[in-house]
Amino acid sequence: MNNLIEFFKKAFHIIVLAVLLILSIVMLGKSLAFNDYRLSRAVQSIVGPIQKSGAGMIHRFRLGPENEALVQQNIELMREHENMFIEKEDTILTEMSLPDSINSRQVRLYDYTYAHVIFRTVDRSFNYMIVDKGSNDGITRDMAVLSPSGVAGVVTDVSPNFATVRPILHPESRISAVVTPANQNGTVIWEDNNPEVAYLEAIPQHSEINIGDSVFTNGYSNIFPKGLLIGTVKEVQVGNNASFLTIKVNLATHYMDIYTVYLVENLFKSELDTLKANFKHE
Amino acid sequence: MNNVIANILRFLVLLVAQVAICQHVSLFGYMTPALFLLALFLLPLELPLSLQYLIGFATGFVVDAFAHTLGVASFSCTLMMFLRPYIVRLLNGNNNNKFENIDRPVPGVKDFRWVFLYTLILTSIYQVVSVLLETMSFRNFGHTLLVILGNIVLSVFVILCIEYIFHPRVKNES
Repeated sequence: MNNLIEFFKKAFHIIVLAVLLILSIVMLGKSLAFNDYRLSRAVQSIVGPIQKSGAGMIHRFRLGPENEALVQQNIELMREHENMFIEKEDTILTEMSLPDSINSRQVRLYDYTYAHVIFRTVDRSFNYMIVDKGSNDGITRDMAVLSPSGVAGVVTDVSPNFATVRPILHPESRISAVVTPANQNGTVIWEDNNPEVAYLEAIPQHSEINIGDSVFTNGYSNIFPKGLLIGTVKEVQVGNNASFLTIKVNLATHYMDIYTVYLVENLFKSELDTLKANFKHE
Repeated sequence: MNNVIANILRFLVLLVAQVAICQHVSLFGYMTPALFLLALFLLPLELPLSLQYLIGFATGFVVDAFAHTLGVASFSCTLMMFLRPYIVRLLNGNNNNKFENIDRPVPGVKDFRWVFLYTLILTSIYQVVSVLLETMSFRNFGHTLLVILGNIVLSVFVILCIEYIFHPRVKNES
């Protein structure tokens, strides 16, 4: 008996070695077997979260290039939206009396580009933003500026490399808008120096406006395409002026943390402007 | 006691470095350094053999878990820990069964030849076994050989660099 214990004492490390090597082989076999994932799943459930947070940390350093790629992809998608086009009847096809869907062709009216806000104010009564693209990049006056969440403003001045943007947060800012589902047209203006709230004017008192209704651009201005979100209705009051409602609108754009903006170019702007100018001269 | 804490800290630091950095290195597409081996190399030989095997196995398991190669590094590390005393005996040129604290690849205590051969032989054992286990076939053996050689070269280089930059201090207790 003593001999046996002696033997075990001497050979203990050999037994441990054998057990560990066999255990390794078993694990190896398990991980190689294609239909048995229990072991690797159990290990992954412990290791996974650590690896995930590590990958997240590394990813943070690479966010810049990825963001640029996503912005590009966004523009590609936004360019294909239906509010980018106008429908034109094709005269040749009309004579062949084909169904309407074939009978019309789409003409691109708006195009997109993007820029980054490098300076902006929100707490003044005349706010402005500066973006890092200018006339060298094809930016012109009166281009619409959108943030990822909604309408942001209009380009008012352009230098070769930069452009000034007048946000909604400016007393002279006027954006024609439509409130849904009431489908009433009005104008969004900004009055009381609150960077989150604007007013929707010229909505008749009889219209049924509820809190939370969405306010979109209506596309009348030739600056903004149709159907871009401006904000949501925050408060509805019967104003002093008996015929119109006073509507407060929560702006969709968060000016505090605006960085990437999309600029919309109206491809027929000069043509439309000429028409408008002619009208004024009459 | 101080020695134990130093060893544990060394294991932690080297394992984190291995898992977070070295594992993602793929020089020329196939060279991956195994820096964590240094922690095993510097483990005192006076420890009970079974404990050495267990430490080797556990270290390999952690590396495996993060590399999704369960069993590969555990097997190789355990085997390497088993062969380590024999290598040291070979390098010391005697058949003395007693080991001292200085029987480690420590610059200043051992000359460069000793440190280099010790590192090279043990790294080679680990890399040959682990790469073969991972590949599990002799098809395209030329490439497998290339991977083994590349890994050995890079691992030995990195380990020697770290070794000579951070001398572990050895108190000669005898």
